[in-house]
Amino acid sequence: MNAPQGMCEVCMEQFPALLRSSDRQPVRHLVVDDSVFARRNLARIIESYGGIIAGEAADGCKAISEYDRTTADVVLMDITMPQMEGIEAAERIVRQHPDARIIMVSSVGYQENIVAALQKGARHFVQKPVKAEVLYEVVKYVMGDAAVSVPLTQAGA
Amino acid sequence: MGIFSDDRANELRALFFESAQEILQALNDDALRLEKAPRDPEIVRDLRRSVHTLKGDAAACGYTDLSTLAHAMEDVLAPAVAERDPDGVVELVLIAADAFDNLLTAYRNHTDPPSTAPLYEKIARLRNPVPVPAFTPEFSWSAAELEEMREAASAKPVWQIALGIDSVCAMPAAALQLAHNVLASTGALLAIHPGATKPGAPETIVAALATEAPLEDLARKLKIPAVIANVHLTAFDPAALVELPVAEAAPQVPSTPAPEAPASVPAANSSQTEHRARDERMAPSENMLRVETERVDTVLDLVGELIIAKSMMHEAVAEMARHLAPGPLRTRATDTLTLQSQILHKLQRAVMKIRMVPVEQMFRRLPRVARDTARAVGHEVNVVIEGGNTDLDKSILDALAEPMMHLLRNAIDHGIEPPEERQRLGKPTEGTIRLDAYHQGNQVVIEISDDGRGIDTARVIQSAIDRGILRPDQAAHLPDEDALDLIFQAGLSTAAKITAISGRGVGMDVVKAVMDRLKGTINVRTTPGQGTTFRLKVPLTLAIIKALLFRINERLYAVPLASVVEILRAQEEEVHLVDNQEVLQVREQFVPLIRLRRIHPGGERRSKIFVIVVNVGDHLWGLVVDRLIGEQELVIKALDEHTINTEIVSGASILGDGRVVLVLGVAEIVEKLGRGQFTSSLRKAEGVQK
Repeated sequence: MNAPQGMCEVCMEQFPALLRSSDRQPVRHLVVDDSVFARRNLARIIESYGGIIAGEAADGCKAISEYDRTTADVVLMDITMPQMEGIEAAERIVRQHPDARIIMVSSVGYQENIVAALQKGARHFVQKPVKAEVLYEVVKYVMGDAAVSVPLTQAGA
Repeated sequence: MGIFSDDRANELRALFFESAQEILQALNDDALRLEKAPRDPEIVRDLRRSVHTLKGDAAACGYTDLSTLAHAMEDVLAPAVAERDPDGVVELVLIAADAFDNLLTAYRNHTDPPSTAPLYEKIARLRNPVPVPAFTPEFSWSAAELEEMREAASAKPVWQIALGIDSVCAMPAAALQLAHNVLASTGALLAIHPGATKPGAPETIVAALATEAPLEDLARKLKIPAVIANVHLTAFDPAALVELPVAEAAPQVPSTPAPEAPASVPAANSSQTEHRARDERMAPSENMLRVETERVDTVLDLVGELIIAKSMMHEAVAEMARHLAPGPLRTRATDTLTLQSQILHKLQRAVMKIRMVPVEQMFRRLPRVARDTARAVGHEVNVVIEGGNTDLDKSILDALAEPMMHLLRNAIDHGIEPPEERQRLGKPTEGTIRLDAYHQGNQVVIEISDDGRGIDTARVIQSAIDRGILRPDQAAHLPDEDALDLIFQAGLSTAAKITAISGRGVGMDVVKAVMDRLKGTINVRTTPGQGTTFRLKVPLTLAIIKALLFRINERLYAVPLASVVEILRAQEEEVHLVDNQEVLQVREQFVPLIRLRRIHPGGERRSKIFVIVVNVGDHLWGLVVDRLIGEQELVIKALDEHTINTEIVSGASILGDGRVVLVLGVAEIVEKLGRGQFTSSLRKAEGVQK
């Protein structure tokens, strides 16, 4: 890590937009993370493939109520959070809504927690720092037949 | 070797190992030369000569696996092959050098030589450039699993599935669980476990699944993004068995089991022979024992309990000594106790040793990462590895792999300058990355250094100000080393992360987080224009630490001894206030103080204080405590996160008399109770109030 490369503007890759096949609407994401920065970062990535943010939550309790409110297509769930941890929130959401598609988002080195979350019904996991191309593929995978990808130019119309 | 005496044979072998190492080095060097001068027939001939020598020597010592492999290699080390596929030849030589090395290690340790099948396949592919899938699974099922598969196969098609874990996925257990979930949702999962790992090959998962789902659907579902890179499906045929094909070019369509097959052969009889054949094939080498880590951990836990019991015993004997006049019985008791603790100490070391693996296991993955990264960004690097045989707890080493890869990629991407720039600066065009590991007391130090441009502290400070991490007035008198520590701040590195062109720029905060979790430290040294060194210090093991015990308001606490620099006794009037921060002058330095009574307020003020000077990220801090108890080995028990505020408490331990000691994390104390990172600039501030 040398001089932070980073003062130039982001040139995020463009992906085909992910749309739900039934209603041709963008995939709706619920983003759960106690870090505002992480949520914003995820939001940018989600928007880069044409997804939209249906809701945000900073802890597990809020995640459950937000899921009840929005029934988002996909939930991106952080592992470590105050109040209620991601695993418990994931478990409770899946218990209420067996079809919920929950993707655990975790830093390096929380393997046991990921395993536990997967046992409790999470559908997938991505590693922080989240890479746009990875999240795109993972969301597409968990959406399965429910999503189609369409070039962004057409999707915008 | 029959013609030689044993002595003579051993001498010859020693000579062989020595010269083989030189040949391996030559192979590596020449492969890298060939990479720079592709198709150079002279280098190809050099390579061929080296391999030829190795072949002859190995054959003379009776190492047929090695000589046969070398022989096969010779065939493809021809200028014509290099002309056709220069990259393939370089790749092959590098992999072969690794394989040779593994074989040599196995010979030297008298263990079973590892499988060289993948290499033969690569050789074959180079010789006849027909694409063959690189991913060649080997299925091995237990007798019970086979039985179940055979039974299931009578109703539904059964697939033998091999999944190659994506190299970007650093969590094999999570991958296994996810694969389990996906498979279980697709059919009846008969068996699943990690596949046999071949050196250098990606980790695999093998599974058996009974399902009627079409092949394409299965393959699509199993290609789990970011987790599974390769999917290999083979129909399980209950009739034909034992020897499975080594490589399947394409998935086969499962044939419905012929009903007459099981009937024609007596079932019990056939399965018995099969099992015997399997057992022989799977028989592990006699000198090796594969044990689940869990079992070793149980033993380690028990040793921990023993150490606690020992200190209980110790106190009982001390108590007895107070009541008993000196005599033979007392002497015997203390002598026995001393002997017992010596044995216990050895036992603890021996158990820990089981968990120890050489750092080499992690280091050896890095040159390839370096090569790939360097290629991707167009830089030239050479990786120098030292201290690979330093031992470290396996779980710690595993946890370090990812941070090390991050640091390595960063060093190559951002540290090493482009070749043209290096030439202009009068540096060798090829940058050097040095990896080193060594013991330091009860800790292991792992270093990664580059000879690149170094970190521009001014830029770090500027970006910290831009991100609101640092106020401009703080920046004005910020010492360089503190500025460097800024790169570990979450906001800053995250900012670098999303904008890094390679998309590989990494959160140094993540690296820091792993180090914190391991109770290790990381620090960075940089010289502009000359390079950067990251030094990662981790404990040898997580379970047992040497700690310094002290009291605050009659409660017992401890800090790891490894972070203690010195212990001071001082008077309250020696404490000065500088910019609202209490400091103590220690020789020519001012050490900022943290009063640990803030954890447990109350108690009368004493005029005499004890100060434990600790080192956090290369800065000294003084922890003010009421009373020192002494140094002791503590067996760390994990804490339930909900019962205790774990912000500064990293673990707990039980003493011989049953009292509980909370072990405090030094870095956490400074972070939570210290006045932020930048107070250390005080040390350089002038005009101390008297």
